[in-house]
Amino acid sequence: MSIKDLIEEKLKAIVLNDNGKTIPLSYSELVDNIVIANSKVYLSLNANKSEIDKFNLIKSQIERELSTIDGITSVSVSLTSHTINNQSTSQEPSSQKGVSNIKNIIAVASGKGGVGKSTTSINLALSICKLGYKVGLLDADIYGPSIPKLVGDNQKPKISKDGNIMPINKFSLSLMSIGFLISEDTPMIWRGPMVISAVNQMLNDVEWGNLDYLIIDMPPGTGDVQLTIAQRLPMRGAIIVSTPQDLALIDAKKGVEMFKKVNVPILGIIENMSTFVCPNCSHETHIFGHDGARFESLNQSIDFLGDIPLEIELRKSSDVGVPIVCSDSESDISKKFLNIANMLTDKINSSPNNKKPNIVIN
Amino acid sequence: MTLIPENIILSVDKKNLTLEYPNKSCLFTAEFLRVHSPSAEVQGHSPDQKVTVSGKSNVGISKIELVGNYAIRILYTDAHDTGIYTWQYLHDLSLNKDKLWEDYISELRKKGLKRV
Repeated sequence: MSIKDLIEEKLKAIVLNDNGKTIPLSYSELVDNIVIANSKVYLSLNANKSEIDKFNLIKSQIERELSTIDGITSVSVSLTSHTINNQSTSQEPSSQKGVSNIKNIIAVASGKGGVGKSTTSINLALSICKLGYKVGLLDADIYGPSIPKLVGDNQKPKISKDGNIMPINKFSLSLMSIGFLISEDTPMIWRGPMVISAVNQMLNDVEWGNLDYLIIDMPPGTGDVQLTIAQRLPMRGAIIVSTPQDLALIDAKKGVEMFKKVNVPILGIIENMSTFVCPNCSHETHIFGHDGARFESLNQSIDFLGDIPLEIELRKSSDVGVPIVCSDSESDISKKFLNIANMLTDKINSSPNNKKPNIVIN
Repeated sequence: MTLIPENIILSVDKKNLTLEYPNKSCLFTAEFLRVHSPSAEVQGHSPDQKVTVSGKSNVGISKIELVGNYAIRILYTDAHDTGIYTWQYLHDLSLNKDKLWEDYISELRKKGLKRV
């Protein structure tokens, strides 16, 4: 009789008391694996997590019984829980990649360029992060990526063992931008379809993992990319950034209309460069007009989320690559961003998810 | 928006699609949806380019995908997969179902086409 047979014999003699029924151990699928090496026995028991006490008893019983066998010097029994293992292995590859495990996808858009979308996006993302949420930021501007500069980083993203792109982690945010993949002074001379596929890749082939929020810094305008993102993604809503200037507001309205067309709710308007306070004499100048975005939001019954003044510190921090919310969290601007983040998350937490029909086969 | 159905139910034989709205429900045959696909392959780019699709009485629906927040894409067993049905479009179809079907049948007759 081999040692293995002896072990099985001993195991069969051990009975498991399951609700009055006695089940021989080796047949009851509880013994997962028996390995015998150098007179040592390694055995794993398929344990149920909720009955851990019972299994600890069985474990010591098996160790006692098997160590009496001649030629065995030690016995080690480990408890494994298969249900849990199976779940984690089957879920990981599909869930980490793409946007399926992101709770809220929010676009930051404007009709017009140069109104401060990217600066607003990064500071807003960081402020939401400060409230305790897991946040990612996608720079969807292929022709003019700004996020790498704003966070002072242009390291290349790593590729995971599954071949997915890993987001760049900076200031506790998960970041992705075409600017991480190419050098700063290389222009992207691409036609529309290439741009779309690059954006799709940054959405679907990046391991975003579990996020509470993904902020998408949209390119300016209402073109191909903007429409594709707005159409295809299960978007929670969009935020429009505008200066108070009429010229910018005209385009902001177009942005609002685009999202309305594809049923993406407008979460609110942020007025950027709302006023300029002279650092020398404290005189306030409304360079781009006054309260334009606030009135526009009233006109369209859209929430006004807040106004961000034109300030030299905001510009400086952006150029240095440390967003102002990080470099000076006590500044007025940082507090304003935090306020906006608070309003936004409150709004999302208090309103039910976008209605989506159930598709069933019956 | 009341235009968004609460449930979209595909029959087991894949021939019927029921849209359940909060206050009503509407049953479409796969054939009806197929021949009224909003795809440019069917509608063309202007009304005079509209194609009368025939011979689809046996078509089934192989897959339904949500598109963003505003539409579904219906994939058919005849490999037609370019129709994006917005909530608005589906709602319009539900309101004019009988009239549209009559028009389709007379259109077939006029052109000497068959459903099978």
